[in-house]
Amino acid sequence: MKSETKAKFGLTKLELRDLVLLAMVVAIKVVLGKFSVGNATLQVGFGFIGSVMLGFFFGPWWGFVGGALSDLVSSAIFGNLGGFFIGYTLTAALGPMIYGFFFYKKPVQIWRVIAATILVTIICNIWLNTLWVSLMYGAKFMAALATRIVKEMITPWIQMIITWFVLQALSRVKQSKKF
Amino acid sequence: MSKIIIGRYLPGSTFVYRVDPRAKLLTTFYFIIMIFLATNWQGYLAITIFGLAAVVATGLKAKVFWDGVKPMIWLILFTALMQTFFMAGGTTYWHWWIFTLSSEGIINGIYVFLRFSLIILVSTVMTVTTKPLEIADAMEWILKPLKLFKVNVGMISLVISIALRFVPTLFDQTVKIMNAQRSRGADFNDGGLIKRAKSVVPMLVPLFIDSLEVALDLSTAMESRGYKGSEGRTRYRILTWSKVDLVPLFYCIILTILMVTTRML
Repeated sequence: MKSETKAKFGLTKLELRDLVLLAMVVAIKVVLGKFSVGNATLQVGFGFIGSVMLGFFFGPWWGFVGGALSDLVSSAIFGNLGGFFIGYTLTAALGPMIYGFFFYKKPVQIWRVIAATILVTIICNIWLNTLWVSLMYGAKFMAALATRIVKEMITPWIQMIITWFVLQALSRVKQSKKF
Repeated sequence: MSKIIIGRYLPGSTFVYRVDPRAKLLTTFYFIIMIFLATNWQGYLAITIFGLAAVVATGLKAKVFWDGVKPMIWLILFTALMQTFFMAGGTTYWHWWIFTLSSEGIINGIYVFLRFSLIILVSTVMTVTTKPLEIADAMEWILKPLKLFKVNVGMISLVISIALRFVPTLFDQTVKIMNAQRSRGADFNDGGLIKRAKSVVPMLVPLFIDSLEVALDLSTAMESRGYKGSEGRTRYRILTWSKVDLVPLFYCIILTILMVTTRML
């Protein structure tokens, strides 16, 4: 990603190779979304790793685009578990965008990982996704929140640890000849 | 990490299968909008009949739809229960701290349950009767108005098509990488939190390096075949409207009339 020229909306123009790479990372996010780690009581999905990758490699704006497209592609292939709703596409787009603000062209630091994960959890998972659930299903916000809050209090800490190791590995790839 | 089937499409021959994917996707969106209008039992009755009509029209077994609802069933029931206890009104049967069981609460719990189930059922009709490639084409068509905002829709379609094409490939690749690492002692499902978090790296890094190579190869191949950007190109795979697409149109019109009139009751 050496030759970048400024274009409208703060979006840098992507070379064809980078555009294809964006598509590949979108595909990785969709695939990772189908994997999870944990035991019978607690499952943590890997989809967020795809969001971290989008933000880290492509920045907030292309991360936003990639996140939205990953939601569309995943709905087309696997169907949307909660039903087709544009709100979830927006949440899927905002996650990589927030990660992009913290990780894109920035050194990997503990405070960045913690702050980004907490922001994504609060804005996307706790606030917006709960809002969509309550809107779509006509439930009270508090009723929808009660269903989701326990999981959202536990998973961010696991996500932070995974993000930390993933980012260190990815920055090694970024510095290698492959990139 | 068992086998995951790519695509939920189940072949069939009812008319629902012949409906244009664009019409099906729009009807699915519209159905969800119409559900917002349901406020009383007449409205819920109307939307339930219409939702079930779509399900029956697919001619598929009930198990297909149960499989769609199954992964969400606890979430649905729990949210419906929460709604039941947080909503007070009418006759109160039981009360403790912030929880109240009342007649209004029970009715609202049933409404939430109905909404959840109907949205999932209708979305299942969409994904089960349409091939993933057709759904993607329909999504590209719906994104077209973004051109007004100077968004390069052709480029977005290209990313969607490439991602769609490579999800199965990357999926196989992921499983292969995991097996290769396992054969050398990697353990993806054991150990403490830190150990498990670390075990993602031997899966992710090779996957990303593979993707880098694919991106380089594929972009070289595309450029050598004369790809110079999404403008000025023709389309080979085209969607065409037909008479059967009038069915979803009438479905939406009648549903609108019913939902608006029941709301005024």
